[in-house]
Amino acid sequence: MSSASRPPGEPGLLLRAVLALLLLAAAAGVALALVAGQVAPGLSGAVAAALPDSGASNPVTAVLLNFRGYDTLLEMAVLTAAVVGVWSLGPAPRIRETEPSPVLLGMNSVLIPLAPLICAYLLWAGSSRPGGAFQAGAVLAAAGVLFIISGRRPAVHLPAAPMSWGIVAGLGVFLAVALAVMPGGRELLEYPRGLAGALILLVETAATVSIALILAGLFIGGRPEDEP
Amino acid sequence: MSTWLAALPWMVLAIAIPLLGALAAFVQPRRAQVIGLSFSFLTAGAAVGVVLDFITLGPQQHAVGGWGAPLGIDLVADGLSILMLGMSAVVGVAVSIYARAYFVPYPDKAPRFWPLWLFLWAALNALFQSADVFNLYVTLELMGLSAVALVALTGSGPALWGAMRYLLVSLLGSLAYLVGVALLYHAYGTVDLTLLAERADGGLQLAVPLGAMIAGLLLKTGLFPFHVWLPPAHGSARAPVSALLSGLVVKASFYLVLRLWFTFVPEGEGLPLLLGCLGAAAIFWGSIQALRQKRLKLLVAYSTVAQLGYLFIAFPLAGLEPQMAWSGSIYLALSHAFAKGAMFLAAGAIMTQGGHDEIDELDLVVDRMPLTLAAFALAGISLAGLPPSGGFVGKWLLLESAMAQGKGIWAAIIIVGGLLTATYVFRVLGFAFTRSEHHHERHEVPAAMEWTALLLALGAVLLGFVAPWALPLLDGVLP
Repeated sequence: MSSASRPPGEPGLLLRAVLALLLLAAAAGVALALVAGQVAPGLSGAVAAALPDSGASNPVTAVLLNFRGYDTLLEMAVLTAAVVGVWSLGPAPRIRETEPSPVLLGMNSVLIPLAPLICAYLLWAGSSRPGGAFQAGAVLAAAGVLFIISGRRPAVHLPAAPMSWGIVAGLGVFLAVALAVMPGGRELLEYPRGLAGALILLVETAATVSIALILAGLFIGGRPEDEP
Repeated sequence: MSTWLAALPWMVLAIAIPLLGALAAFVQPRRAQVIGLSFSFLTAGAAVGVVLDFITLGPQQHAVGGWGAPLGIDLVADGLSILMLGMSAVVGVAVSIYARAYFVPYPDKAPRFWPLWLFLWAALNALFQSADVFNLYVTLELMGLSAVALVALTGSGPALWGAMRYLLVSLLGSLAYLVGVALLYHAYGTVDLTLLAERADGGLQLAVPLGAMIAGLLLKTGLFPFHVWLPPAHGSARAPVSALLSGLVVKASFYLVLRLWFTFVPEGEGLPLLLGCLGAAAIFWGSIQALRQKRLKLLVAYSTVAQLGYLFIAFPLAGLEPQMAWSGSIYLALSHAFAKGAMFLAAGAIMTQGGHDEIDELDLVVDRMPLTLAAFALAGISLAGLPPSGGFVGKWLLLESAMAQGKGIWAAIIIVGGLLTATYVFRVLGFAFTRSEHHHERHEVPAAMEWTALLLALGAVLLGFVAPWALPLLDGVLP
């Protein structure tokens, strides 16, 4: 394609070639770095050694909610900021109110009641097996999305206040727990011995609610109508 | 009372307070202005607490979760961190007071601005205190996402387009940085900066991840030729947002480049020379583009491209005189945050007054807003590097370092860049003193907007006087 006929904003052949070469060089560099030198032992040994004190028997949960809980706290802030950003763009676009297909409705009547059950299981399982707040929240959010696209929204509009309180609950509870353990000479997020398991479950439960609302809120793509 | 205050964990509060404020402003949209401004003052207070702790007790460390590196995450406040925290506190408070007045005519924007800005501030404070490369990635994401949302807040077509470009560039930069983090963990089994500094032994295993991380950060900093996203994003955002983006956000990724550089101290002449040349190209390209702009905010945005170039001149000069060159670059970053923040705030006041920001049509703005024009001129003095401003101290240190090593070409670049800066500043001032042929509508500008711009610009000039106390804080941080 000649440069004259390409639409404006499309990169030219030369630019594409340069970018392709740069990407190839980057890939080669990463591959070289991976094969060069030895692989250092990771931190799985240290995690296993500290696991009994962490309040969770699943190492992934222990890393996410305890050893590196501060990362997860800031990640909850990232998710919350994302939905705040989407709400700032404008009110939610109206979803087409068409008659949904009977297949979708049939499937919904099976899946939507099951979703909270699966969500609760995943949340509970997280302490000892793969699972946890992010997975549980995603399942709940998926149920919300199915409900929204079925067009069967309740006649009352989605109220803003419960939604915004639910969105902030995850980060709010996490921050409150992180700060509340500090009196008595402990560091941020340093759970007292014996209470770690219960506090992690509390943080994860609140996070599940928020993650579900945030993911569904991102799908809706705007703020509720009564939100200023 | 004072012992009770001194015992508070200021490092943690500097991050937790803005996060709490963001949540409070979000759930109470009708009271967002009051909540936002109060939490801004509290956040700045916490940052001052960190600075005072550093001055009285020396560098501070906080092992989050009580685990300590490598299992946990460490927060560290050293001289470089507290200078950046202090910079964010001063610019943040000025912008917050300005924004309180600025957003009164936009009741639909105000409740959205405050949560995003407080999230951004939390991300900045977390970034400046983190000593963990993965945690730094999370702070970069929080910063990038809230900054993009703040640009999109304007709502106009160009702003949304600029925000989208900014988002894509920011994500690409984060991704490159993350690849580097993964490779570092693969090679050295830790993501803690102190441990990495001990274990990293050079060679390809260090060069590739470091290259990926620095490339990603340069993209986010907007160093020439990665600057293409910067003028549309900074030029189309609301004035307080532009001040935050140009003043603080690009400094955060530059700070991270410095932090990585000081941690790993890469060997060789090639990369520093390349960074210096890109910096020089940025100075010329940014200044020439600034001279060609018709809109005031775009001129100021291109000026940011040029001034960011100066920060990278230190890399080729750091060979023999590392202390002087790095101090100069860091001091320039600080004074640019003050000066550019003030300049965008002044531009916003001019835009509010006249309803436009065409440079040719400034129409005797000096008669109507002498304070704002004084702010613009003072900020320009610091940008051009005239004494006694903070910009002068920074450029003087760079010049001295270049002359001491006989590298006259870098000295020439610094001087010519200063002349170009003075030219585009005086171009604006010239039109502000002349009458336009067209008639323009005029609006009242709240005094708070004019005064915050002026005080921030005065701060940029006063920075020149506090240099003898501020620069020694960097002892022990510079390589």
